[in-house]
Amino acid sequence: MQIGTQARKYRLQGAGLDLALPYLMLAPGLMIVLGVLVYPLWDGLRASTRAYRYGSPISDVGLQNYVHLWSDAQFLNALWVTVKFVALSVSLEAVLGFALALFCLREFRGIRLLRTVLIIPMVITPVVVAIVFRLIYASDAGMLTALSEAMGGGAVQILGNRLNAFIGLVVLDVWEWTPLMFLILLAGLQSLPHEPFEAARVDGAGAWRVFADLTFPMMRPVLAVAIVLRTIDAFGTFDQVFVLTRGGPGEATRLVSIYGYDTAFKFQQTGYAAALFVTIGLVVLALAFSAIRLLRRIDAS
Amino acid sequence: MRTRLARILTTSFVLAVVLLPIYWLVSTSLKSNREITQEGTLYPHVPTLDNYVRLFTEKQFGSYLTNSLVVTFFSVAIALVVGAMGAYAIARFRLPFAMERKVGLFLLTLRIIPPVVILIPVYLLMLSLGLLDSWLGLIATYTAFNVTFCVWMMESFFREIPVELEEAAMVDGDSRFGAFRRITLPLAAPGLAATAIFAVLVTFNEFLFALALTATPRAMTMPRGTATLIGRIDTDWASMAAAGVIGALPIVLFALLVQRHLVRGLTMGAVK
Repeated sequence: MQIGTQARKYRLQGAGLDLALPYLMLAPGLMIVLGVLVYPLWDGLRASTRAYRYGSPISDVGLQNYVHLWSDAQFLNALWVTVKFVALSVSLEAVLGFALALFCLREFRGIRLLRTVLIIPMVITPVVVAIVFRLIYASDAGMLTALSEAMGGGAVQILGNRLNAFIGLVVLDVWEWTPLMFLILLAGLQSLPHEPFEAARVDGAGAWRVFADLTFPMMRPVLAVAIVLRTIDAFGTFDQVFVLTRGGPGEATRLVSIYGYDTAFKFQQTGYAAALFVTIGLVVLALAFSAIRLLRRIDAS
Repeated sequence: MRTRLARILTTSFVLAVVLLPIYWLVSTSLKSNREITQEGTLYPHVPTLDNYVRLFTEKQFGSYLTNSLVVTFFSVAIALVVGAMGAYAIARFRLPFAMERKVGLFLLTLRIIPPVVILIPVYLLMLSLGLLDSWLGLIATYTAFNVTFCVWMMESFFREIPVELEEAAMVDGDSRFGAFRRITLPLAAPGLAATAIFAVLVTFNEFLFALALTATPRAMTMPRGTATLIGRIDTDWASMAAAGVIGALPIVLFALLVQRHLVRGLTMGAVK
């Protein structure tokens, strides 16, 4: 059977000009990608081993930039803030998204409206999402302050306070991305086979038993993929922070992407920033590949 | 009865959480700055469209919108054509050394790397080519990003279409490329649509590269232009809110219009 398909594929390829066809079809895409992604990637690696002044390389410093990162208190802080932000946001999104997906699994009136409305947060331009939350958090013009004053309270301080600003950022991310989690998990739930659940109902299993013994184990692969996708994405979060807090107050919401951007464009340390970004890229790739391996193990068992 | 009440309550709560922030954005955009900062009203007492007018007369939002539309259109269109061909080659041909599979894996790896990693070198590249602050610079960058996931998404759509249909067309005298163009491509249309929609969303909303690569209304896109309104000291809340509405409106309308395809594109891959 295997050989049969293989032979057919060769036969399909034909002769003459058709032999060159796959290469001709792959070439334009590869050329664009090589020019605009791969060349810069290589160039970035090169830049990361150099010291720059006023935007031009002045000397080769080998791996010094990379070594320096791990004794840079600001980088370590940014990394810690990023890890906290990603872990907190993604786990909240997974729990809320899963709960909402279970809730929406049974068709009822109003569910289409709910699904439509839930699309809005994740398609709105991230910059605008950040503006929305600035308008909510602002101590003079914000919704929270307006509400508090309407109820006789005073101004609410969110973005001026370190802890509140960080929580405010997490809330923004949860508002924006729980819907995606919800959609992926709902699609997953809807694709589960019916038979085990009917059998469980015949056996008289309670809702919690069904969830713990059937739904959750069967949903584990989908849940894992959704979490991995969100984690990779959240690691690169930039727009929302840039507009909402610019990393402040102090360094409370300064994610690695923001620190890298400032290093490159504000402090003009091109080589050091390149090393920082390469390091982030490696971390995310390592994360992705270990996640893929983990998934294969789940699939196999 | 009790579950019904719980359902209604939960639904209303979720709707409120999603919609209240958006209500506040729209409502702020209809107030004057005086009303926003001094009176702190919960809805616009003296509604005005001044903020919107100012965006277009004083703040060049007309240019930002044009730039966004041009850049999004070209980078998505080019990536779709180029990506569809590449995806088809990977899905259907068996090349020496399993080259097509390696190319596919390579593009997927590029897709996983966060774009921020190549921000600096792309900036340096555009600087040396004199493409900073130009449509072409943005189009080239976005096209490349779009190609990686267009190939990856469309490959799986092409795989779903039976080879036999193409074989039949070729027996009837079509060339290989003719069979692709006349048979497979139309059959993959829903998949192409889902891919295109996703690409439009991502491209229209992109901010980081627009921030680094553009500096004037000549090439600034909507998200980039909106961010220029955010001053560090005095903040023009009214303009900011109006800019938020204008910036988000095209893409939200677009998304609601193509909702079904969108959900398919967003959730695919994860469930497979």
